[in-house]
Amino acid sequence: MKLELGYVKVTDVRLGTESKFEDGVVTVDVEAVRKMILENEKIADVQLDVAKPGESTRITPVKDVIQPRVKVEGPGGVFPGVISKVDTVGSGKTYALEGMGVVTAGKIVGFQEGIIDMSGPGADYTPFSRLINLVLVITPIEGLAQHEYEQAVRMAGLKTATYIGELARNAVPYRSVVYETPSITEGIKLYPDLPRVGYVMMLQSQGLLHDTYVYGVDAKKTLSTFIYPTELMDGAIISGNCVSACDKNTTYHHLNNPVVEDLFAQHGKTLNFVGVIITNENVYLADKQRSSDWSAKMCEFFGLDGAVISQEGFGNPDTDLIMNCKKIEGKGVKTVIITDEYAGQDGKSQSLADSDPAADACVTGGNANEVITLPPMDKVIGTLDYVTRIAGGNENSLQPDGSIVAELQVITGATNEVGFGCLSAR
Amino acid sequence: MKVVIISNNPMVRESYRGRIDVCFVDGSYRDVLIRTRDACHQGHRLLSHPLSGSVKPNETLYKSIMISKEAARADRESVELMEKAIFTADKFGPVRRNWQERERKDFQLVDLTLIDSAVESAENDLGYF
Repeated sequence: MKLELGYVKVTDVRLGTESKFEDGVVTVDVEAVRKMILENEKIADVQLDVAKPGESTRITPVKDVIQPRVKVEGPGGVFPGVISKVDTVGSGKTYALEGMGVVTAGKIVGFQEGIIDMSGPGADYTPFSRLINLVLVITPIEGLAQHEYEQAVRMAGLKTATYIGELARNAVPYRSVVYETPSITEGIKLYPDLPRVGYVMMLQSQGLLHDTYVYGVDAKKTLSTFIYPTELMDGAIISGNCVSACDKNTTYHHLNNPVVEDLFAQHGKTLNFVGVIITNENVYLADKQRSSDWSAKMCEFFGLDGAVISQEGFGNPDTDLIMNCKKIEGKGVKTVIITDEYAGQDGKSQSLADSDPAADACVTGGNANEVITLPPMDKVIGTLDYVTRIAGGNENSLQPDGSIVAELQVITGATNEVGFGCLSAR
Repeated sequence: MKVVIISNNPMVRESYRGRIDVCFVDGSYRDVLIRTRDACHQGHRLLSHPLSGSVKPNETLYKSIMISKEAARADRESVELMEKAIFTADKFGPVRRNWQERERKDFQLVDLTLIDSAVESAENDLGYF
């Protein structure tokens, strides 16, 4: 399967009275977008705002970040099974609007989550501070159940990202990259001497506010399966996960997965990137056993020499991570795991809730318990009402001067476990 | 049903009344972990993950865990998983915030949906249903 991904540079996002993409500038017809979102009768109101890098702006509580994309050639459309029909994606040509994000914000439950600071020390921890963000602050109708509110917010974000993506259908990308995955037999013929490497991607799937969708299907009801890496680039996997800001995979992460990108960069040079195995992180222990058995079975069947395993979340998924690692290693396949850490505020405690000697190659996204201070910002998009109640905050989080003292886990994407982050030991 | 839910969540108790036995713990998140660990020592098998949910043990007040109703020989994996969960919860420490009623209800709801998700899986597992 072969996909050409064209990157279209966005240099500015403006709110206006007509929607267009011209000379790198996205202009958004505010009323048209509001009308589109308010078609959902569960949404009472939506406010649009733009946050730019370097501004004294804080966005909170953030639910999802989405990169607008448009499919310009080939079968299907972006976000298959959700926005577009369920046709298989991942081939043809797709444009990505580089430099901008659609951010959804809304108070779904009375705690949680997610801060994006556009400047100051907080900005250093989140990659989304580098984007020009079109923010949707969504208010539900009175009495709407939390899961319906989450779904409404999720759909509003995806619809808006698709709408913006369409504006760039006739744009000219400033750079293009071709990603190609050969079939198993072609791969063996093409690269007989290169190690065969796969990517085992764990998807959050524990229940309300902890869900991920694959072609529109709730991942908790799936078995571990194969997916072409380019399918991810067309939005085959979307986030319905509102919990744990620092280490959840937003839809933006699924579209721009750096593990996929880096494995492609080495494909045909130092390794043969065979493909992606997606697996879930359910709460029922028999599901964990079944899914990890299945991942290991697929690694064996694909004749992998090595596998990179990434997790999403903390606690319950640590068990899936270790089960996957142990069983895949048991098949004679070398593994590297990617996780983050809850090692206590001093960083001295054991990082994961589970462990095994087989997990002897580990990449960390950072310690989510680290305490940080975020200075006050001139402008808040969303509301600070919940800052004391988000994960990693506490009753003393909001200081009299407006600054926030909290754990790193309050920041969206800070310790991301596909490695799409800013923390490094280098 | 061949399962029992150990829980300190009133919403779970109400939701499963008449359907599944709920062993209600009038205590903390940690108390639920301890009660479950003790049940595992007595031979009940752990069926759902004790650290379900990404809401941390020092934030949410509520925890619900599914175990087998029948007790056999103590299952080593169940006991070990519970010990690790208690170790992890202790690392975070107790909940230090005084949650308002609205937030308590939201925590209860999230905990309920996590155990619902386990029940849904278990319903297709004839060994337990």
